[in-house]
Order: sequence, then C-alpha cells, then structure tokens
Amino acid sequence: MKNAIIMWAAVLMPLAAQEIRLPANLEKLAAKAEESVDVTLSGSMLRLAAKFISDKDADAANVRKLIAGLDGIYVRSFSFAREGEYNMADVDAIRAQVQPPSWSKIVGVTSKRTGDDVDVYFKIAAGDKLGGIVVIAAEPRELTFVSIAGTIDPDQLVELSGEFHIPRIQVNGKSRGRRGPR
Amino acid sequence: MTTRLLAAILIVCTVAFAGDWEFDRIVGAIESQYGAKRTHIPFMGLANLAVKVVHPAGASGFKLAVFEDLKSSRQDRIELDRFMNRISGGGLQQIVRVHSRRNGESTYIFMGDAGKSTKMLIATFERNEATVVEVKVNMDTLLKMIDKPEHAGRSFNGKEDW
Repeated sequence: MKNAIIMWAAVLMPLAAQEIRLPANLEKLAAKAEESVDVTLSGSMLRLAAKFISDKDADAANVRKLIAGLDGIYVRSFSFAREGEYNMADVDAIRAQVQPPSWSKIVGVTSKRTGDDVDVYFKIAAGDKLGGIVVIAAEPRELTFVSIAGTIDPDQLVELSGEFHIPRIQVNGKSRGRRGPR
Repeated sequence: MTTRLLAAILIVCTVAFAGDWEFDRIVGAIESQYGAKRTHIPFMGLANLAVKVVHPAGASGFKLAVFEDLKSSRQDRIELDRFMNRISGGGLQQIVRVHSRRNGESTYIFMGDAGKSTKMLIATFERNEATVVEVKVNMDTLLKMIDKPEHAGRSFNGKEDW
C-alpha cells in the first residue's frame, strides 16, 4: 500500500509541478474586467482533438505529434476600461513561479512608450525538449497569461512555424515553413 | 460473468448515448432556470438535413435553440459560471469562457467526442436572450478553418469546398 502511494506520488508530482497557479486576486479581476477570456484545453481534451486529426497531411501530422506531448493549454486574458485596474504584485506572483533553474526567461520586452511588458519563459526538460511555455503579457489595460504544459519538441514547433498562426521562426538566418513570410 | 458482461455493455451504451443528451439537457436547464421556452425556428429540420448531406465546412449536423425574453434581465457573471458548470459535464468539457461587460455577453464553448467526429456546443447569453448551438464537426476541416478563417466564408457561400 505504502509503495503504491509512493508510486502514485512519483507519477503525479511532475504533473503538479508543471501547473502554473493563478493567484486568487487575479481570478477576482474577471469581475473588474470589461472582457475576460478563459481557455482551458486539458490533456484529455487535447488527446481527443488529436484523435481526429488526420496524419495524411504533413502539417496536420505535425500538429498531432505536438499535441500528443501536451498536458494542457491554458489562457487567461483580461481587458480593462481604464489603466491601473490590476496590481503588478499579482503579475509578480506568477513570475515567481517561473524562475530558474527549472524555467528560463527567453524573451523579455518592455516598452516605456506603450507601457507593455511581455515575457516568455521556457521550461527545460530532458533530451533537448521543452517542459512547458509560459507567456505573460502585461499592458496598461490588458493582462494575458498563456501556459502550455507538457513536453514540446522545438523541431516540431519550427516545422509548424508559419502555419496555424504560429509565427514564422528563423533558424540559422533561414526562414522555415512552406510559405512566404507573413 | 453474464451479469458483469451486461453491466459492461450497459455502461458503454450509457457513455455512447450520454453525448446526445447534452444538448437537450442544457436546453432544458436553461428553460427551467430562466422560465423561457425555446423559439420555434421554421425549416430547421430541412436545414439540418442539408448540412448532413452537403457537410459545409466539415459540419455533419447541428442543433439550435434560441431563447428570448429570459426572465433574469441582468446576468451575474459568477452565477452564470456556476450555472453552466452545474449543467455541463458528462460527454462535454468546457474549453472556452468569455465574459464581456461592454456588450453584456457571455459565451461558453464545450467540446466532446461524437464517434467519428467532434461535437462542439456553443452557448451565448446576452441581456435577455440566449442561444445554444451544437455542431458535429470534422477536426481536420476545423483546423483548416482556424488556419485560414477567410476561406470559411467562401466555403459557407458554396464557392469553395473543404
């Protein structure tokens, strides 16, 4: 029995570790927000979606492979009527969950002109793969969090660049994907 | 052994048919919660037959319910979330929830397995109106539409076939 509990804990702990928790204050922002969007694609839903994607088309097959490794995709977005409706401390509470050594900030854009602050974090997993991606976009009147949990092969992301609204990715100065730049 | 086999068959049948009840269950729950009856839309059966034959944009069937003059004049966001969480479940999972105070609209999108295709249920609540649509759609075609939404309009107009 004890062994079974330890085994289950070992299986479930990595899953729990991937989960990015939104602070309670942020959940309350939905009441203040002029518009709030909540997208929850759980692992079971992604597997269901993958089941119906054909592997005849190369792009669709790549999407299927990419989805197979994911545990979930979560998006929370709030739009406000006025500036200063949310507290930066709440945003920092999320940033605190994506710190080294597990996570690396790979993009950080701050604009004094527009007041935009966008950060992209990657979680490093074994075998040159990503263990998750988190995007935090804090604008004066808009706040967006995106969390993609699960194993992501960067090569598959590059293959899909330019498709399904995934931005074109440049590798070694060459644009990957099949069509011209968008 | 026979009892177990029968129980297993019963469970499988229940799961298979549960998905078809979702739309009726949600519509029924809205009717009882808001004291409104769905508006009769003429030729809906004919339109559904056409969709089943033509498969526009990968759709292989749909159900639609429109409610007008909902008794609750102003929707409380949290209350509506609770209501939708309570009545959903079973074969459908909520994937998108949007609330807009600007236009007083709330939208919920659910997705579930429907045999060889995927079932999507979209429920929209406005101040005094609600609409529930359930569509059985082919996932490949849906992906193509997401990739090139501008082509979807042409497909619906019959100018392009997916």
